Amino acid sequence: MYRKILAAVNEHINSEVAGRYALRLAKSCGASFLTCFIAEKGTPEESVVRAEEAMKRLITEAELLEVPAGSITKIGDTLGEIGAVVRHKGIDIVFAATRRSDIEKRFYSGTVTRRLSLQLPCSVALVRVVHMGKIHPHKILVPLKAGIDHIKERAYFTSKIAECCDAKVVVFHATKPITRFFHGEIHLTPYEWEKRLPEGISGFVEYLRKYDIAHEGRLLPGKAARSITIEAAAKRHDLIIMGASERSLLTSLIKGNPVEEVLRETPCDLIILKPRHED
Amino acid sequence: MKINARSKENALRQLVSSENGLSEAEAAKRLSENGLNEISAVARTSLSLRFLGQFTHFLAILLWIGAGLSFLSAWLHPGEGMLTLGAAIIGVIFINALFTFIQEYRAEKALEALKKLLPFYVRVIREGRERRIHSREVVTGDIILLAEGDMIPADARLIESSLMKVNNASLTGESDPILRNHLPSGGELMESPNIVFAGTTVTSGSGKALVFATGMGTEFGRIAHLTSAVEPGLSPLQKEIVKATRLVATIAALVGIFFFGLGLLIGRSFWENFIFAIGITVALIPEGMLPTVTLSLAMASQRMVRRKALIKNLSSVETLGCVTVICTDKTGTLTQNRMTAAKIWKGDKIIDTADFYPQAGDMLAQTALLCNNARFADNEYRGDPTETALLKLARERIGDPGATRIQEIPFDSDRKMMTTLNKVADRKYVFTKGAVESILPLCSRSLKSGAETEIDDAFGQRVMETYHALMDRGLRVLAFAYKQSDGQRPGNEPCRQDSSLEEDLVFAGLVGLEDPPRPEVRDAIEKCHCAGIKVIMITGDGSRTAVAIAREIALIRGTPVVIEGADFVKMSDRELREKLSEKEIIFARMTPKHKMRVVSVLQEEGERVAVTGDGVNDAPALRKADIGISMGVAGTDVAKEASDMILLDDNFATIVNAVEEGRAVYENIKKFLTYIFASNIPEAVPYLAYILLKIPLPLTIMQILAVDLGTDMLPALALGTERPTPSVMKQPPRRRNERLLDYSVISRAYLFLGPIEAVACMFGFFYVMNRGGWNAGTMLPPDHAVYVQATTACLTAIIITQAGNVFACRSSKESVFSLGLFTNRAIFIGIAFEFCLHLFIVYHPCGNRIFSTSPVSLHIWLVLLPFAFLLFFAEETRKALARSRR
Repeated sequence: MYRKILAAVNEHINSEVAGRYALRLAKSCGASFLTCFIAEKGTPEESVVRAEEAMKRLITEAELLEVPAGSITKIGDTLGEIGAVVRHKGIDIVFAATRRSDIEKRFYSGTVTRRLSLQLPCSVALVRVVHMGKIHPHKILVPLKAGIDHIKERAYFTSKIAECCDAKVVVFHATKPITRFFHGEIHLTPYEWEKRLPEGISGFVEYLRKYDIAHEGRLLPGKAARSITIEAAAKRHDLIIMGASERSLLTSLIKGNPVEEVLRETPCDLIILKPRHED
Repeated sequence: MKINARSKENALRQLVSSENGLSEAEAAKRLSENGLNEISAVARTSLSLRFLGQFTHFLAILLWIGAGLSFLSAWLHPGEGMLTLGAAIIGVIFINALFTFIQEYRAEKALEALKKLLPFYVRVIREGRERRIHSREVVTGDIILLAEGDMIPADARLIESSLMKVNNASLTGESDPILRNHLPSGGELMESPNIVFAGTTVTSGSGKALVFATGMGTEFGRIAHLTSAVEPGLSPLQKEIVKATRLVATIAALVGIFFFGLGLLIGRSFWENFIFAIGITVALIPEGMLPTVTLSLAMASQRMVRRKALIKNLSSVETLGCVTVICTDKTGTLTQNRMTAAKIWKGDKIIDTADFYPQAGDMLAQTALLCNNARFADNEYRGDPTETALLKLARERIGDPGATRIQEIPFDSDRKMMTTLNKVADRKYVFTKGAVESILPLCSRSLKSGAETEIDDAFGQRVMETYHALMDRGLRVLAFAYKQSDGQRPGNEPCRQDSSLEEDLVFAGLVGLEDPPRPEVRDAIEKCHCAGIKVIMITGDGSRTAVAIAREIALIRGTPVVIEGADFVKMSDRELREKLSEKEIIFARMTPKHKMRVVSVLQEEGERVAVTGDGVNDAPALRKADIGISMGVAGTDVAKEASDMILLDDNFATIVNAVEEGRAVYENIKKFLTYIFASNIPEAVPYLAYILLKIPLPLTIMQILAVDLGTDMLPALALGTERPTPSVMKQPPRRRNERLLDYSVISRAYLFLGPIEAVACMFGFFYVMNRGGWNAGTMLPPDHAVYVQATTACLTAIIITQAGNVFACRSSKESVFSLGLFTNRAIFIGIAFEFCLHLFIVYHPCGNRIFSTSPVSLHIWLVLLPFAFLLFFAEETRKALARSRR
């Protein structure tokens, strides 16, 4: 599914760490690895040097891993130039690190990372780096909502990341509690919840089984974002992989945006995947 | 590969740093991208929004509609008192919101306590130079310099170290300092000897470390995240109150709508029907319920303080009563945390310490004395309880041998042993003590009758058998060994591990230490068994010791399931769930970080869990549990802030007392709900009579509110102070689906007690009306003297019968005479208040003006008084019949 993987690098160390995730995925998929740096007009020389050093380090790592690699440096608008590279090189997935602005601003305010995720004509993985001491995740939490799309690509991505790190995957679904007006919340045991696992998630689990990835399922009632971060912190997960938000501005304003909340409060590294490959 | 497993160079490369540290520019860039190195709370609903939430639930919305319609009515038909009614309804909304908020409010200070464990300033190397910066400015890739006494600002990988020991108590609960080094090491970060963590302290030595996680990304941040993110949600009582108010509000609204429609059908005017609908709705809503529940919980929390349990938020008072599982620590909670040496195994014999009379040169006693960091000063022993017990044992028998310590290899929880090199009378000796499994393999000889003999497999087997036998008696067992040292190591500084020092030792014997159970714990456990509460011991001790203690305090009777920490970590949730369903279960060799998982799995199975804790890393479990219980004496500030209840004496028996009090609170709430709901019927019946019999309205809405929010309050509160009955701890915890407002409460209040009161109030009304010359079918103006007196008599009848009702509601089954008529003095205070308030309403011009009343003569009181007795004795008869039927 992924034959060419691109990591967008800049002067910040987080982008290099995000690039390492891309590199490992490339190794796992047998894909080629490209790293690129787009210097916008007025970028200080020092930043260019830092980014180029980061690219060099990534290329060196790629050589050690025996992954075919290359790098591109361009000047211009980040989104436009990366878009052009994606189209020209036939890139399947782009990795980019989130910036502080992504965490501080609301998602709909249109940061560069957000625009990359929305506008690139390929899959995009946004990486928030929280913990640089855990380079290889051993426990990956995959929160899924009911009715997910691109099941195959999500499962493939998760499986390949898990495979390269020999990690265990925990598929997690936070659902609304069952309530009755006069009886309040109805308590169900985990066994009873398991019976209510949405179909899409079962499909995802099937793929994990197919890819021979160690996994387990967990379904809990509660607010999605808070349940995800608590689960990740309590069970010491090293990485969360979740889908990009599909909520509109209005829905986000009214109901909140779980992806945005997890991005802000994640206790471990986070990858937000925007899949583009059709099932 | 994690950072602990990498070489120094590799780790530096990974974080794009160097031994010269980061440049200032790079550090600034990282700071701007990754944020400050600080503990921050996760976003939560603000206090103001939570308060506003009290105005938007179902009952509040219903009342808002009622108030809105009243104002509309006042605008369309001024002068009918609807404006006052609208204002009164809004008053009710505010009172209820305030009291519910008070019940839910809890100061969140756990994070503040956590923040105090981080340093203000820290020394770092940047651009090759040492600098002192604010710890908030530390970034990943920084090289920090650590020395004795420093608090560590971030999670870091040691790249240089010199005899560095850290105290990780805030993360692991282990208070013993542990040695750190900078060599690559595999395994988990938490256990790695080359990793230091934010929030811990350097107790000795020094080092240089590479920061790899800051702020909320650290292990400390993880605890902070869990502590602030875990929201306990509504307590069982709050959930029951929500259900009860929804039910009552729905009934009230439906009754109002039904009779509004009926009134229209029988030809009454829209406004008459409207006043009626509002009136009957107000009458059926128990406006005083929430304030009474809140005040009752506040009073119960005061009673609990007197029983050494400090409750931090009111709703927890009742939650205690419905816990089904208590997960408790052992040391200090079930036991006294007063370690004493009880048994000694020496020369193949187990002897009591009372029979241990060693000579001056006894090597076991010398090892216990000299391989020891406790001290005797100012006539008291100070230090770790285990070491103190050993020092006391040896010092009181052989005195001070005048030795000097040359070196020490400190206790390490991984090695489970400590060693010292001492000079005793010009000779050097190595003394070692620790876990048997650590010491025995290091010994080549043993001491028997003063002579050293080679040890063989049979000796090893005897040692292990004795070790197990002592543990089976609930003792914590330590092994002791020594050797005369030939090494001439110069200097007197403590050294790092020197493996040759701990080789070829002479096995000196075993000492079994006893931490006796608290005397009151056995009864408390027995009470828990009777009350259907499962008690799970979670201890760091070994399984044999834990089982023996559990058996001694009757926590277990059969063969329990014992899960050790190492197995626990490997277990899936499903497996753990199965184990937890067993009747008797003990967790041994556990650390506090495991508690939250136990609590979560139990809660997922529908249990209501209380958990005890004292350390910083207990905080998430304390927050997650239905009731988090911290230790007032041994607990850290973080644990105390994160808990719902603080045990002022750290005693398990206090938890059980609090549970008993909590159950009594629930029973008492049921009692005063019956009392409050009973008065709804005499408040509603006048409205039915008004619409169906076409008579003047016998009771005004303001008079209803005078009862619900005035005269009923203190007697209801007095019912909340009823003492727990003996049976309260002899029944299982209430089921999850058991309702606060169940059929027995509603039927007793609405179908038995209420109708008697309704008869009384209607009698009072008609009695005055007839005496005033009223003819049936005649409508009197609202300010007519006879009518005002009649409504006052109606109100007086409710007050009088409620006085009888408060006695009747003291128990739903037992006769009040068996409880003792005068055993609850608060009832008399409540009744006195009720009558004083009513006298003000009836005989003071101000009361007359607000509540549209007028003074009534004494004989009206005397006419109505028998109804109170009627109600009381009717209820006694009902109880007697119910008892005889059982």
